[in-house]
Amino acid sequence: MSKVARAPGASKRLAEDGGASPLSNSLHHLSLQQSPSKASKATPAFADSSSDICPVCKSSRYLNPNMKFLVNPECYHKMCESCVDRIFSHGPAPCPIAGCKRTLRKAKFRSQTFEDLKVEREVDIRRRVAKLFDKQESDFETLIDYNNYLEQVEEINWNLILGIDVEKTEQRLRKWEEARKADLNPNAIRRVTEPDTSQLSDTSHVILKKGATQRKVLMSSSASNLNPLGGGDDAERDTGFVFRGLKKRKAPEPEKPFDPFDGWSIEPQYYSFQGDYNHNWFTAMKNDPQHYAGGYDMREYYSRALCDAFGGMGIFIEDEMTARDTQGFDDAGLGTQSVATVAAGGRDVDMADIF
Amino acid sequence: MKFFIDELPVLFPYPRVYPEQYAYMCDLKRTLDAGGHCVLEMPSGTGKTVSLLSLIVAYQQFHPENRKLIYCSRTMSEIEKALCELKALMKYRTQELGYEEPFRGLGLTSRKNLCLHPSVKREKSGSIVDARCRSLTAGFVKEKKERGEDVDLCVYHDNLDLLEPHNLIPPGVWTFDGLLKYGEQHKQCPYFTARRMMSYCNVIIYSYHYLLDPKIAERVSKELSKDCIVVFDEAHNIDNVCIESLSIDLTEDSLRKATRGVNNLDRKITEMKSTDAKKLQDEYNKLVEGLRAADEARDENAFMANPALPDDLLKEAVPGNIRRAEHFVAFLKRFIEYLKTRMKVLHVISETPPSFLSHLRDLTFIERKPLRFCAERLTSLVRTLELTNIEDYQPLQEVATFATLVATYETGFLLILEPFESATATVPNPRMHFTCLDAAIAIKPVFERFSSVIVTSGTMSPLDMYPRMLNFTTVVQESFTMTLTRKSFLPMIVDRGSDQNQITSQFEHRNDGPVIRNFGTLLIEFCKLTPDGVVVFFPSYLYMESIISMWQGMGVLDTVWKYKLILVETPDAQETSLALETFRTACNNGRGAVLLCVARGKVSEGIDFDHHYGRTVINMGVPYQYTESRILKARLEFLRETYRIKEADFLSFDAMRHAAQCLGRVIRGKDDYGIMVLADKRFGKKITQLPKWIQSALDTKNTKLSVDQAVSHAKAFLKEMSVPWSRSEQEGHSSWSLQDLERHQAKKKAEAISGTENPLTRALEGRALPERMEVDDEFDGQGMDEVMAGLDD
Repeated sequence: MSKVARAPGASKRLAEDGGASPLSNSLHHLSLQQSPSKASKATPAFADSSSDICPVCKSSRYLNPNMKFLVNPECYHKMCESCVDRIFSHGPAPCPIAGCKRTLRKAKFRSQTFEDLKVEREVDIRRRVAKLFDKQESDFETLIDYNNYLEQVEEINWNLILGIDVEKTEQRLRKWEEARKADLNPNAIRRVTEPDTSQLSDTSHVILKKGATQRKVLMSSSASNLNPLGGGDDAERDTGFVFRGLKKRKAPEPEKPFDPFDGWSIEPQYYSFQGDYNHNWFTAMKNDPQHYAGGYDMREYYSRALCDAFGGMGIFIEDEMTARDTQGFDDAGLGTQSVATVAAGGRDVDMADIF
Repeated sequence: MKFFIDELPVLFPYPRVYPEQYAYMCDLKRTLDAGGHCVLEMPSGTGKTVSLLSLIVAYQQFHPENRKLIYCSRTMSEIEKALCELKALMKYRTQELGYEEPFRGLGLTSRKNLCLHPSVKREKSGSIVDARCRSLTAGFVKEKKERGEDVDLCVYHDNLDLLEPHNLIPPGVWTFDGLLKYGEQHKQCPYFTARRMMSYCNVIIYSYHYLLDPKIAERVSKELSKDCIVVFDEAHNIDNVCIESLSIDLTEDSLRKATRGVNNLDRKITEMKSTDAKKLQDEYNKLVEGLRAADEARDENAFMANPALPDDLLKEAVPGNIRRAEHFVAFLKRFIEYLKTRMKVLHVISETPPSFLSHLRDLTFIERKPLRFCAERLTSLVRTLELTNIEDYQPLQEVATFATLVATYETGFLLILEPFESATATVPNPRMHFTCLDAAIAIKPVFERFSSVIVTSGTMSPLDMYPRMLNFTTVVQESFTMTLTRKSFLPMIVDRGSDQNQITSQFEHRNDGPVIRNFGTLLIEFCKLTPDGVVVFFPSYLYMESIISMWQGMGVLDTVWKYKLILVETPDAQETSLALETFRTACNNGRGAVLLCVARGKVSEGIDFDHHYGRTVINMGVPYQYTESRILKARLEFLRETYRIKEADFLSFDAMRHAAQCLGRVIRGKDDYGIMVLADKRFGKKITQLPKWIQSALDTKNTKLSVDQAVSHAKAFLKEMSVPWSRSEQEGHSSWSLQDLERHQAKKKAEAISGTENPLTRALEGRALPERMEVDDEFDGQGMDEVMAGLDD
């Protein structure tokens, strides 16, 4: 009993949230749903004319003015709230409508959004399909490809709604979903199948000791993992659906470390810093504990002195003047360089002003 | 008479010309030369149409490029009048020139007015005539006939194909009557003759809608070239026309009908699949190719056009998910179901199109893009299915139009859902208004496409409101007055009764006893003193009804009855026309009558009360719009935010243009006379918003009168009017012969050379004083010097 009850529940979940991974049986069940749903197609017409009478208990709105109708997306049979309470309060029970053998649970009952139950069901199916097929126009190379894709998706919807080739479609859908998951997040799959690399490096010695068989297993698993990453042999993979003109999914390039100076380095250009300079003028200082005991490092002094000494090197005022003059004419002076020259020029003027 | 404006010879079909007509023509010419848009206000009854036509025709014939004139007017009768004027003008030109110019002038109106088919023309409703005509004239019907099937065709339409396509009708000006007669004689369809000859005409006269309503404009007016001269006559309501052309109302009933339509389509598709699947496949292939290949057949037979404006029209292929007919039908079904669920809500909702779309997407997975193609796709499907009873699909078409509009425009539109008809109603009757808030959207392509657009009417004050609302720039803005030899109309503002109690239709006071009694005495007094016809305008039907019932109790109506026959306008058009008929009879036989009508009703817009039909017009209260309307509120907010037009400014502008329109009903010419009474104390502050020609006649002493004062003024005025007066008195002053005109031109020339442009000349030409620019600075319009001087003290 519990097994029977479980499967429809799962399929319901699938209809709602696009389906989780253990689909296998539940999808099959959804496909079986076709025969009763054809019966349900007849009901709206009947229900429209006497929409205020519950088909189960035959009570009408006249007797119960705040009657509410609920449907279960399992079979889309309408019944009033009190019937739902009465029949399904004690756990899952079969649908009371004659000819419908589905097992329903109270939790899944909801009030219908659309007047037309056919549309209600259609929208449920669409919700599921739309989750899976969410490609944008920008994912395709040409507009025609995109339009063809849209049509194909519509065909899938259509098949599910009208119950044509449902089993086959479901199977393909399942495959597509797996492929899509792999596409979207290759790491998730890798994480599942492949042991962590850090672990690998730590344990590799151990494995070597343990013998060749285990190593082989490891090799093969990593080899199989190459496929979704490389994406080179996509064609071999069966994704259930093939859409032409789909742009290749490019993995985002790994981010470079952040460089606040935009490539500009403060490394000295005109000299190389040696770390220690022997000059008899320094020796006394170097050896004076008064200096190094406090943590003073002579290298600070060297670098500063050198920086001061070479500070004016590489600045050619004439060049900069012409560069500044021509800048008005061509805007090609780009980026930091031109900014730096302008800034340098500006500083000169300022200096003159101050004195 | 023939005269020159600068180098342009103008043939004017009358021996005399009014000064303001001359000035009007000068301004028109200036606009055409400069190639821009203009706004001109000239009082009704001064021969606006004839001066417009004679100048533009002269301009067309004089300049080799031969720019086409598109003259848009509002009603059928106005179009017919303009056609007659044009005909007379061309006759005069032929006489004067001694040869006939190659010239074609045609008017276009609906199929209903131009049909000759013996059974179709007997239909009463315009849409049924349209649908039946399509079923007889559509291209596929003809194909069927050729294939030997037994289908009905319209003989009149078929005969057109036997004629040369560019010469369906001989040159000349054809009025509707003439066109119908010609069609009957030659057994050809007048409607399609006019439609097809449109591109070979020098002058086209038709209704605004053919240019403004994008659903029609794309089909009728798309071939018109860029250098056409476009004239909107009677354009004081043009913003409302623009807005209406892009607004859609949906009700539960129309949705139900739309569902029925969709189901019919579904059935037809299934039928066709079994019988003629190839056709559907053909359509599909065309749609796949895209580029609207399916629309090459888009011609006069098209079922409906895309409501989006030309520049927003999509030229790409129809999205894949509505390419197949059955998919599209399911798509429509889903959309309609969604709209039905929206209708169930019991509180008022107003939302913008983006919010609507996102909700729609969440609920039904309908994306924006296929929605945009809805109208287009439906047209194509209907054509493929070769449906003949198109009138059944009207509601469906509305839904598709709605879909396209909501998906195309993000701003300038608002969706308002009102579940109840009135605030007190308990039974829901939901109505979804998709309202356009921005009049500029519909008219924008017109201004962009045509180099000269002339917007003119009798009442357009304040002139700068229109360029602001419709978002265009003008080269000429001018207001003309009526040059008169005698004061032939007497505007008065009555703000209190004889008992010194106020007169107002303000909401708080409108049902007070004294106010109503004062309105009553005003009516009685003027009915006593006025000969022949009196016309009274109320702000709304509701108020009119309540005040009439109160008057009944007070015995006002009994007193009025002694002097005049009382007639009332109702929302029903036929009852109203009967009342009008009776009113005319009563005026003609000397009994005299008073017509009580509504300032926004049919009477206030299209009916003239010339001469004895209207000697007094009374505006009882300021005709404000119903300000509690959500649509109006939304529009006001939009105007404030987008065009910086304050709510109060717009409301009072709108009220005053309607009031002016009502007042203008009684003066239809220079030899006409009448009394205009504005009965509300609030009019006193709105004098500047009246048209210049009324303002200039309104004495300052007449702006704050009590009822008895007004009566004595009116009596004096009528006495003055009863002095014998002949037309010869106005010669040389308010009506020029050729000599007068030439003298004026010479004088003006001399002045131009000496550089002494004097305001007197302007006044002579009947130009109103230029509007004083209101300086809206922080010092309240005071001059800077005065402000500074004030600081010194």
